[in-house]
Amino acid sequence: MIETVSAAPPKRRRGWTRKEWHYFWLGLVFASPWIIGFLVFTVYPFFSSLYFSLTEYDLFNPPKWVGMDNYAAIMKDRNFYKSISNTLFMAFISVPVTLFSSLLIALLLNFKVKGIRYYRTIFYLPAVIPGVASALLWTWMLNPDFGLVNIFLRWAHLPDPAWLLDPRFTKPSLILMGLWGSGAGALIFLAALQGVPQTYYEAAQVDGANWWHRFWRITVPALSPIILFQLIMGLIGAFQIFTESYILAGGKSSGGALGGPGQSLLFYAVNLYQEAFINLKMGYASALAWILFVIVMLITLLVLKTSKRWVYYGGE
Amino acid sequence: MLRKGSTWGLIMVFLLAAVLSGCGGGKDSAASGQEGGEAAKGGDAPKEKVQLSFWYGWTGPEAEALEKLIKKWNDANPDIQVKGLSQSDYQKQLTAITGGNPPDVASNFGQDVVPWGERGAMMPLDDFIRKDNVDLGDFVPAALSSSQASGKTYALPIAMHVSMLFYNKELLEKAGFSGPPETMGQLKEYITKLSIKEDGGKLQQLGLWPGVDAYTFSYAYGGSYYDADKKQVTPDDAGVKKAVEFGKGIWDQFGSKELDRFASGLGQYMSPQNPFFTGKYAMTIDGEWLPTFIKQYAPNLKYGIAPIPYDESKPDLKDPGNVTTSVFYIPKGVKHPEESWKFLKWMADPEQMAEFTAAIGNLPTRTSLQTHESYKEVPGFQEFLKYSSSPNLHSFPATSFSTEYMTEFSNQYNAILRGDVGLDEGLKRVKDKIQPLVK
Repeated sequence: MIETVSAAPPKRRRGWTRKEWHYFWLGLVFASPWIIGFLVFTVYPFFSSLYFSLTEYDLFNPPKWVGMDNYAAIMKDRNFYKSISNTLFMAFISVPVTLFSSLLIALLLNFKVKGIRYYRTIFYLPAVIPGVASALLWTWMLNPDFGLVNIFLRWAHLPDPAWLLDPRFTKPSLILMGLWGSGAGALIFLAALQGVPQTYYEAAQVDGANWWHRFWRITVPALSPIILFQLIMGLIGAFQIFTESYILAGGKSSGGALGGPGQSLLFYAVNLYQEAFINLKMGYASALAWILFVIVMLITLLVLKTSKRWVYYGGE
Repeated sequence: MLRKGSTWGLIMVFLLAAVLSGCGGGKDSAASGQEGGEAAKGGDAPKEKVQLSFWYGWTGPEAEALEKLIKKWNDANPDIQVKGLSQSDYQKQLTAITGGNPPDVASNFGQDVVPWGERGAMMPLDDFIRKDNVDLGDFVPAALSSSQASGKTYALPIAMHVSMLFYNKELLEKAGFSGPPETMGQLKEYITKLSIKEDGGKLQQLGLWPGVDAYTFSYAYGGSYYDADKKQVTPDDAGVKKAVEFGKGIWDQFGSKELDRFASGLGQYMSPQNPFFTGKYAMTIDGEWLPTFIKQYAPNLKYGIAPIPYDESKPDLKDPGNVTTSVFYIPKGVKHPEESWKFLKWMADPEQMAEFTAAIGNLPTRTSLQTHESYKEVPGFQEFLKYSSSPNLHSFPATSFSTEYMTEFSNQYNAILRGDVGLDEGLKRVKDKIQPLVK
């Protein structure tokens, strides 16, 4: 065995030359700000939160080891299930809806019409506005009495819901707000759309493919890696949704209880924040964070696994 | 060349490392530099000058009133200079305390005191209080009790809030009432008569918003949330239950759908569109700051202030109320506890307390101030000052778990109102969740 290995064409010489070592260290030195930052601000908190999740810790007294107690308590916590179901609603409804609308906007912005650059800018603008500002803006848009949305609905003789006050409409309100920001996703789709070789379309046209066929057989497969990317980022974002709920169903104004009417906006991250910074249960909150980590990882893995069947990479 | 390049690389890294590590130390050196500089300026002072930082939650005109007091202190105490910082996010205090770099004195809500204090975030003040003979007997008992647990005082209440019944005189007259309701039974009758539906059952005017304040009504029914002797949380206490039933009764009279629709048309609280100012609410339960707001936003409103109604079968529980407080405390780990205390004590002295609370339209926590002349000009204060000496005022029991208790109670109260859960089951859920936290 050893003979054959040494007899094989030397892909790599044994050991590095001085010069190569030199470059190796130099590279490490240049990368060190990131490496140090990664170790101190990511790896260390990562593992310490795992440790804290097995303790009872209130920030002020030394953590007390409690083993799996936090995890057992979470399994019996009503707020945990409420927050999971609210969050899953957002992940499974909001993410596909936003994805679809981004794609639609991208397709529209891909037309070569006059002034398309301005349209592109306008659709991207909402993505530049900070989350807090846009949440505040939307509280006005969705004001049931004099908000623009309901003025329009009343004009069209459609039902005008109480949006952010009615537990049945709070999450749809958030989805609506998310749609407003789909320009960010559209920009990425647009970039990908412009990378699809025109020759494919020309060839398809010669073969007599109609608009739908060209979209379904060329555009979608060509965009599939981007769809996958946006889907995963969207899912991760949905599991961490916090700002909108915190601003719209505010903590201070509602006497400390977060989560909005009927706890309909009690999302996973909101519940976690409440346990950590209001109830001062850092251990419990760390355990919640780890459960979230596992859930997001499992869902991401699942998506990646199924993606083999529907994602096409160029050249395959 | 290469050697030169790597040297530069190393220099860069060291520079970066210095900058990064400097972030932590930078503040200290800057602060000490400042202190040193000022000490040098006031070279005549016999003692070394101390600089205290004071974080408070008030903003705008209320913060200005506080800054005026700080200036007064600074002028009188050249050796202890206080620097105020308006910081209304109280979670930041937590981070500062755990980070070992806390403010020297800070304000907070009374309901946070015992949860934070029992965990060691606040310094017990009892030794100072004993040494300086601060008369705790002068403080309103319900206000002081929210800062105390297990024989320790973690903060001094600087201002207190209590709710009373506000009523719109014109609307009451229109409905044929000559005065405000006095008992809970009358209140119920008033609410029904003062709620007006039009256009096929659309609510136009509401007697009293049913979801408002279960705590206040609990005390009207003689309820209690905690049995300290038995170490039992009692959300299922008969009085508490009656208060929840009362809210539920009004709620069901109109239903969630109609109330949501009605609520959706209501204006901002701090604006002329406040539903009580516009007559959408005929009555409301609100605090001592409301008359000041009315003067500002709805000067023509004809309103009255009345005691919270009481349970007719328990006349000894007249003038009930739920007290909440704003407090000053000294965080754990401060560098100059003696000086922090001196400033805190001075702020809580009758003179300063009167000046501050009158300026921001809050109630003083000292009984000796209830007749103080500085409140003469504050609208509505004659009623409220008198009310704040009622023996039937209570504050939510101060325990290490009271924050969670109140959150869970308010969640379940809302679920009960909306019919998501039955009354007994909802209150049982509170008990099941909170009782295990009792130690």
